[in-house]
Amino acid sequence: MGFLSPPPVRTLPLTGEEPKVVVPNGNGNGNGFVSAGRKVAPSSLAIDRMAVEDLSIAYGSKVAVDSVSLPIRQGEVLALIGPSGCGKTTLLRSLNRLTELTKTASLKGRITLDGDDIAGFEPTSLRRRVTMVFQQPNPFPMSVFDNVAFVLREQASRRPRKRDLKGQVESALRRAGLWEEVKGDLAHPALRLSGGQQQRLCIARALAANPEVLLLDEPCSALDPQSTKVIEDLIVQLREEVAVVIVTHNLQQAHRIADYVAFMYLGELVEYGPAEQLFGAPRQERTREYISGAFG
Amino acid sequence: MATETHHLDAGQRALRSDRRAEFLLGALVVAVLLFVLFLIVFVFREAWPSFRENGLLWFANPDDFDRQVEKIFMSANLLQEPVYEFRAWPIIWSTIVITTLAVSISFVSALFVSVFVVEFAPDWMRRILEPIIRLLASVPSVILGLVGVLVLVPFIGNHIISDDSRREVSYIISLSGYSVLAGVLILSLMIAPLMIAVFVDGLRSVPRNWLEGALGLGVNRWRTFWKIGVRTARPALIAGTVLATARAIGESIMLAMVCGGVGFAPNPKDGLIFFVEPAKPIPAAILQASEELTSPPMRDTIFAMASLLLFSSLFLSFAGWVAKQPMKKYGVRA
Repeated sequence: MGFLSPPPVRTLPLTGEEPKVVVPNGNGNGNGFVSAGRKVAPSSLAIDRMAVEDLSIAYGSKVAVDSVSLPIRQGEVLALIGPSGCGKTTLLRSLNRLTELTKTASLKGRITLDGDDIAGFEPTSLRRRVTMVFQQPNPFPMSVFDNVAFVLREQASRRPRKRDLKGQVESALRRAGLWEEVKGDLAHPALRLSGGQQQRLCIARALAANPEVLLLDEPCSALDPQSTKVIEDLIVQLREEVAVVIVTHNLQQAHRIADYVAFMYLGELVEYGPAEQLFGAPRQERTREYISGAFG
Repeated sequence: MATETHHLDAGQRALRSDRRAEFLLGALVVAVLLFVLFLIVFVFREAWPSFRENGLLWFANPDDFDRQVEKIFMSANLLQEPVYEFRAWPIIWSTIVITTLAVSISFVSALFVSVFVVEFAPDWMRRILEPIIRLLASVPSVILGLVGVLVLVPFIGNHIISDDSRREVSYIISLSGYSVLAGVLILSLMIAPLMIAVFVDGLRSVPRNWLEGALGLGVNRWRTFWKIGVRTARPALIAGTVLATARAIGESIMLAMVCGGVGFAPNPKDGLIFFVEPAKPIPAAILQASEELTSPPMRDTIFAMASLLLFSSLFLSFAGWVAKQPMKKYGVRA
């Protein structure tokens, strides 16, 4: 173990090439991490969208994120993993400046979106480009239609008519894989959907704003395995259109859907690399211990 | 074995005391319900002669409200046929006007104040504001009435009412400062803190993650709080409004002190003078007539007024319940 290989260089398949399924490399590394084959084929195109540069976030005097640097690319799913309290959710929330809602939070360093420092954005316009899906499904107490239309109505300068919103609502629900289940009754109260449907509705709601980056904070932690699978498939599909960052406690999940994984511990970014490498041959002792279940 | 029996006994005892508590609480509930029923039946039964004698004209407009009350009172003393003729429109109208205005004013201001307190006020301000609001909500109304009589009424009489207005309506009523305006302002001051207290609790119990959900979609704080927070808290808004309205409808002492106690229906056709005309809402009328309970026809008339009040508050609770129903559909907690 240790620093055996140089920093990872990502190889992308050429256009027209068949994407190949990467099987975890478990031979002889002995980290004990075994799982079913990854369902992710390497994405055909990755574009740098956001960059986190030497970011530190503290709540009062408690440092939650310590000098983290990361790229976030469209066409890839980036998973943030690490034990509870390691700062991964804080890092995620800082990407659309939701950390500002906590009064004691202070931030150093820089985050850019397409090269522009997000500190210079209006928080609202930033959050429309970088939307967030939360751990607990939190549909608003309205109908399914109104939940998705909420953002569209808020963005419009004049209140659009229901008829004009229909197309956008349908496309958002389709992208979130919920359309087939709810198309019969869009007036259904959102809070009476199942947990998995509620979470997909929240994803649809986040997609309705046509974001460029989608942040997911443990989106499946409150869901059953079936719903989890549906949402994982959805995330893999979505990465082509938006950059996806997901925080997860579930290592198998990170392994299944992520292209890149960042392992955080006590606020520091311990290791960042392609999923197959991080899970197959971690370069850091801490990472190896964590993914083999030694702590966390 | 001995200990086992002991445990069994303890278990059974606990069960029995549970049953006893259940029975006691059930009996209390039944007793309260019976009492409310008794109250309603009693009041309406006592009120019946007045309604029977007047029919629907009970709700009509009299030539002179105070004169008719005097006639009813005197009729018993002179050993004549009791007089029942009663036209209640001025006091009904006064109640409607004063309650509606006061509730509207305090609803709007309470809504903005409570949104500010819950969502936008800095912590130190919140810590000062909340106890003050709760204190204000519990100020006895007679104290507010005193302030009204000593400060507000003279102010209105001296500075707001012009001599021109006095002259304009002098053929029908004299303007002194005791007025609808004084009643509405003091009443608003009385019920707004009550509304704010209920609204604040309602707004604060809006799940944080709904608000965060909207913020995370790029909706600004004001719109988020307006569209999600206030919308979700609507049942609390209704509950607070019903509570405050019930208090406003039933307020007697304070309104009797500042409204002038003249049985006069303020006339909207008088323009702005309308607001400085005196009025007499139902509770104030009951209060002023209560010394005359010894006269049987007067007593029936007073009960008739009381039954109208009772009916209004029952109707109010029912209306509040009806208004909350459609909100249940989308899961807004009532």
